[in-house]
Amino acid sequence: MPKKSSRRRKPVASHKSRRKAAPSKRKRPARRKPLTGWRRFVNWRTILLGGFVLTVAWVIYLDVVIRVQFEGKRWALPAQVFGRPLELYAGATLSSQSFREELEQLGYRYAYRVSEPGTFSQSGGEFRLYSRAFHFWDGDAPARLMDVQFDDGMVQTVQDVKDGSELDIVRLEPLRVGGIYPSHREDRVLVKLEDVPPLLPKGLVAVEDRDFYLHHGVAPRAIARAMMANLKAGATVQGGSTMTQQLVKNFFLSNKRSLWRKGNEAIMAVLLEWHYDKDEILQAYLNEIYLGQEKSRAIHGFGLASHYYFDRPLQKLTLPQIATLIALVRGPSYYDPLRHPERLRKRRNLILDIMAEQAVITRDEANQAKTSGLGIARGRAGDTHYPAFMELVRRQLQRDYRKEDLTSEGLRIFTTFDPRVQQASEQALRRRTQLLDMQRGLQGQLQGAVVVTDTTSGEVLAVVGDRQPRYAGFNRALDAQRQIGSLIKPAVYLTALEQSDKYTLATSLNDSPISMKGPEGTIWSPKNYDDKSHGTVPLYSALVHSYNQATVRLGMDLGFERIADTLQRLGAEREIPPYPSMLLGAIGFTPYEVTGLYQTLASGGFHTPLRVIREVMTVDGEHLRRFPLEVEQTVDPAHVAVLVSALHEVTKTGTARSLQHHLPVGLTVAGKTGTTNDQRDSWFAGFSGEHLAVVWLGRDDNQPTGLTGSSGALTVWADIMGHIPTRPLPAPVTDKVAYYWIDQSSGLLSEAKCEGAINLAFIEGTAPQEHSACRESQTDSGSWFKNLFNR
Amino acid sequence: MMHRKLVGITLLLLAGCSVSPPQPEGQQGFEVEPVAADQPQIRPSPQTSKAALALLAKARQAANEGRLSVAEAQLERALRIEPQNAVLWHYMAKLRLHQGQLSQAAGLAAKSNSLDQGNQELQANNWRIIAQARYQKGDKSGAEAAQRHAEQLLE
Repeated sequence: MPKKSSRRRKPVASHKSRRKAAPSKRKRPARRKPLTGWRRFVNWRTILLGGFVLTVAWVIYLDVVIRVQFEGKRWALPAQVFGRPLELYAGATLSSQSFREELEQLGYRYAYRVSEPGTFSQSGGEFRLYSRAFHFWDGDAPARLMDVQFDDGMVQTVQDVKDGSELDIVRLEPLRVGGIYPSHREDRVLVKLEDVPPLLPKGLVAVEDRDFYLHHGVAPRAIARAMMANLKAGATVQGGSTMTQQLVKNFFLSNKRSLWRKGNEAIMAVLLEWHYDKDEILQAYLNEIYLGQEKSRAIHGFGLASHYYFDRPLQKLTLPQIATLIALVRGPSYYDPLRHPERLRKRRNLILDIMAEQAVITRDEANQAKTSGLGIARGRAGDTHYPAFMELVRRQLQRDYRKEDLTSEGLRIFTTFDPRVQQASEQALRRRTQLLDMQRGLQGQLQGAVVVTDTTSGEVLAVVGDRQPRYAGFNRALDAQRQIGSLIKPAVYLTALEQSDKYTLATSLNDSPISMKGPEGTIWSPKNYDDKSHGTVPLYSALVHSYNQATVRLGMDLGFERIADTLQRLGAEREIPPYPSMLLGAIGFTPYEVTGLYQTLASGGFHTPLRVIREVMTVDGEHLRRFPLEVEQTVDPAHVAVLVSALHEVTKTGTARSLQHHLPVGLTVAGKTGTTNDQRDSWFAGFSGEHLAVVWLGRDDNQPTGLTGSSGALTVWADIMGHIPTRPLPAPVTDKVAYYWIDQSSGLLSEAKCEGAINLAFIEGTAPQEHSACRESQTDSGSWFKNLFNR
Repeated sequence: MMHRKLVGITLLLLAGCSVSPPQPEGQQGFEVEPVAADQPQIRPSPQTSKAALALLAKARQAANEGRLSVAEAQLERALRIEPQNAVLWHYMAKLRLHQGQLSQAAGLAAKSNSLDQGNQELQANNWRIIAQARYQKGDKSGAEAAQRHAEQLLE
């Protein structure tokens, strides 16, 4: 994308068309050689009058153009994006430490005397808290003085201090996650003139436009001065444009220089000065001026530039940093801090000298500042710590809301963002990728992505799109479409289990080698990961140990169409290719899409579209459309329960058994590992009773990483689940399903006491009838498993 | 007791939501028994937390004032606290039916049933919601089947 957006291009285009039309009309009559009578009639007075009328019309046109631009920019408040509010109630799973962290994140101050909103005190597990008032879309939450007691990782009581009454449920104000402009792809951090460090506007005026407060938009003296300087030097060394002219130029960014253009800019500058006062123009300048380019994204305005170059808000910049930004005004690419640091440093020092000359700063201050380095710390180009999540918010807004609604300013967007889950996900991904990267000698090439949702509601709690989560670059969670490998297997096995008269978890499958003709006559013979064939195996075992040969055989028996249909019912929107390799996941999905598929399994067969926006409010508190929780049963919950009992076994005795060392005791989970050819992709998708998390690790250049699903992504997943309070898998309650002890190797009915017995679910009446050798007379169907779940 | 009082209040929740659908043309043959006020209201189970009950009370108030999206949001809050509570899902299904969101009503009623542990009355009421949703969508035989399900449960 060029530096300017198409939105801005439009007025330029209309310029051009007029530019061609207008002068020709004026000049043509003079050049022609018409009849003599005509010549007398069309005298110079008429030409003058015509020219005058045209000029006036032209100026009026320019006036409209520039005012529309200026007004459009001036009040453009970003939409405020909020996370989920923390709900406090007796029984809420929340440790006192997490609570304190959340309070600090919300900007609550620790105080000995809690006497005003936004303060708290803590003594062990007891908090006194003065909450801030907040206007939720569905009602006001007043500021409230309360005592909150924690014990055993839970909220015990919430009490109103005033009257001692117990509060059933209290919502704290949500965390502001960031600001976005939902209707376009451009981020800005708008600043108000009174909020910026005074040195910035003073320095700008000193360097760019000394007569700013005196002129009326153009400064003939400055132009003359610049022309002289340029003549002397034999090149353009000085510009004569006022800041007002520069602002106009930025509105219609174009690199073309022409006299016609300059003339128009000058007229518009005068018009701007006529309509608006100096401070308004200066503020617009601060927010509009072009200061850099990050790939496709133009960095406009000092607010955003400050984050981009120094990773801190404008208010916190030092003198040399302010001077550096002023230096960039003249040519962000010519003075690019990365490519031409020396050039930029020189110009910064020149700026400091000018500031001292103009008595904006003292000579000493200038000299002192000149000794410091540039201190560039590339930060996030945007007003948020969570660029990956914000990108999802932006996309869902654009998908679900009308454009007219989104252009209204100062929207308040309430999202499902959970700061604690996000933090756990970021930390887990960062820590594990660093570690794995080092162990495998990947030289910083290992990348990853995480999506975490609530299993019931499909609400997206956290999104990480880069191992450096603050970096607003390629969002792998949403955009990295990678082969999913064995993550597809649950869909294959579910397709089988749905034919419960034909397939159960104990049905025998054939895991012997298989070859088939692929497209273009090639022979395809998939191998098992351990390169062995396992003969006849029970169905559950083929899934739990992720046997490829058995899966392909099963899939060929079931047929591609049936499996594609299952995938679609789980929520896949992509076309499923009817190739055998599809059965082993040779099909690309993004981590976000995979999350959608597993969501249906995690919520027991109910397809729940992933949701990131709860409500949107206008700046006046008016409530825009709401997108409620949606559920649609697309798979029989009984069949899902059977599948989940096997996916739980994956995490106990299967490919993800290492989870047993990672997770807290009693936290039962279900999941599946995924590894693709040559270990290019490492996946883990799994869920507890409350959270679903999907993790992908791999390289952007799609080279091998040496990681399997369990040696890579699983470790990140385990760290996340181990660090957030979550509930174990719920016990399935459907009457259609019963649990039986099954002998691992034979798939025959066994007994809890028997070695190698595992507990699996069967649709009522389909459990194996034959007994294993070990099984004793009495049956104790499933009580252990149910107890485990009911804990 | 405060607790008991709250349960009492929530009994009335969404009572106003029970509707008899207008009979679509040409579907006179089979009449679905409406989820009417004379059907027993489903109570929240005694294990329901105070927080969820408080939210139910808020939802009821909002529903009575006609602010259905607020009611809906309170129910969603309650569900976040107790995602396995079949009765909450049932209320949600009723609300959706009242809002005329038929597929959603049926989906939520099915979800409620998938979580219920042996409360026949609740299950029957959920099947009635499904019957109504199907009926209003013009799926006559589907509605009949759902209705039979409901009746069998109460036999």
